[in-house]
Amino acid sequence: MIRMKDVSKVYDAGVLALDRVNLEIRKGEFVFVVGPSGAGKSTLIKLLYRQEVPTEGQVVVAGNDLGTMRRREIPYFRRKIGVVFQDFKLLYDRTVAENIAFALIVTGAAGRDVIRRVMQMISVVGLKGRQNAYPNQLSGGEQQRVAIARALIRNPEILLADEPTGNLDPKTSLEIFRLIERANIYGTTVVVATHARHIVDSMRKRVIEIKSGSVVRDDRRGAYDR
Amino acid sequence: MRTSLAGYLLGETGKSIWRNKLSSLLSCGTTALALFLLGVAFIINLNLGFMFQVVQKQMEIQVYLDKELSEDAYAEIYEAVKAMPGVAEVKYVSKADALEELKEMFRDKASVLEGLGEDNPLPASVRVNMVEAAMIPETVAAIEQIPGVDDVEYQAEAASRLASLGRVSQAVSLGGMAVVGLVAIMVISNSIRLTVDAKRHEIAIMKLVGATDELIVGPFILTGIVLGVLGGVFGASLAIGLYSWVVSTIQELLPFVPILNLTVETAVDMLIVMLSTGVVVGVLGSTISLRRYLRV
Ligand SMILES: Nc1ncnc2c1ncn2[C@@H]1O[C@H](COP(=O)(O)OP(=O)(O)OP(=O)(O)O)[C@@H](O)[C@H]1O
Ligand SMILES: [Mg+2]
Repeated sequence: MIRMKDVSKVYDAGVLALDRVNLEIRKGEFVFVVGPSGAGKSTLIKLLYRQEVPTEGQVVVAGNDLGTMRRREIPYFRRKIGVVFQDFKLLYDRTVAENIAFALIVTGAAGRDVIRRVMQMISVVGLKGRQNAYPNQLSGGEQQRVAIARALIRNPEILLADEPTGNLDPKTSLEIFRLIERANIYGTTVVVATHARHIVDSMRKRVIEIKSGSVVRDDRRGAYDR
Repeated sequence: MRTSLAGYLLGETGKSIWRNKLSSLLSCGTTALALFLLGVAFIINLNLGFMFQVVQKQMEIQVYLDKELSEDAYAEIYEAVKAMPGVAEVKYVSKADALEELKEMFRDKASVLEGLGEDNPLPASVRVNMVEAAMIPETVAAIEQIPGVDDVEYQAEAASRLASLGRVSQAVSLGGMAVVGLVAIMVISNSIRLTVDAKRHEIAIMKLVGATDELIVGPFILTGIVLGVLGGVFGASLAIGLYSWVVSTIQELLPFVPILNLTVETAVDMLIVMLSTGVVVGVLGSTISLRRYLRV
């Protein structure tokens, strides 16, 4: 599902963010990406949804070679990927339901069943009854649920999350990870960059550790620390 | 909740115009001014055509004859002119006829003519109507060669003066339109840029969830078009309204000036031209501000 071959990323400023990274993630896997601040976790995630392009090497995601992908193909590729961030990236002038429906409407998937699908997703992420609330009327955890609902509404093949619980307390974080795990159980490949030590330790999933742009560890059922 | 793509496009367009009321108004205003000037040029053009027609119909060559010649000599000249190719009608006006006409013209103001006394200062003349206006300059040149012809006057001179006057005023209004049109494009572009800036976050999310560039820029282009068309409607109304007023005023005060009544068909033509120009202005304005964004 995901393959990185000798991938290096040098930012304009000359910063080497990733240094000859090789990895393979199969369909249906759940992968944690851990490492100290500045290690290159976000860079790795950004390469996976083609927010950034590799300076060297090859990135293949869901059958697309992202290095050679044409500009106009990017939107269609992105529809196969759901992305969740630490800061939720919601639209604050739109309700919960509108935020989730947004992903369908602006990709032309609009139709009669939009409302039905959105309501169903709202109940999946545990926000039943809050569909008409605005994001600033919700707690951080609830906002992240909205973001996850938006990421999942198109049934993506891959769910990417960059520190999805960075702004949340431990209990709420756990709930969010339960939700992400649920998507994984239904078949979505999941890659999560995180600092949530306790959760990584309790979930016992594959752990890839990055340090200074290099993969230093890749454990099948790993913990946050070696 | 709006769930259709069309609803989304229209909703976003409406919102972006409403949220930037002031710059939207400014965009509409400058577009309206540009299109108003286009309308003025359009009307001038229509009237020139019309005036040429009128003038050509009335075109008559006035051949003034030497005062010292005899009636026989006058008759000879008359015959010579009549024999020229392309001449449709010739009329001889004697000195007495000319005075009679003048008296007729100033019937109410007999005092004006009192000073003339017994002396008739008016020359005898021959009036020529041509089959075709294009033959006039040639014919005039030939008539001037006839001995005993003092002076030749014809309205084609007026026509050519009219034409150059028309050309100048047309150039001025078109030039004005071009300048104001460019300003309108810039103002619209600026207005759209404000919206784009205000919506950076939203655009980023659209890209994230896989919206195509076309869809992302759609509302902005549509906003430009709406502003351009609104400007067009105002500009056209202004031009048409003002013109109707001018026509009625002129017909009242200067009834002999040929001026074209704006028919429904021409008004519609004008509206089409102006609204399409409005669309072009709007599209240009919005694409300029999106160009940089589109390349990203
Ligand atoms: N757009 C950019 N331009 C220049 N340098 C960048 C850019 N983005 C990241 N970097 C640099 O690349 C390196 C890796 O950054 P990255 O954001 O991938 O780290 P991270 O592992 O996600 O860190 P954190 O845990 O703090 O989020 C850092 O040194 C960072 O300063
Ligand atoms: Mg990061």
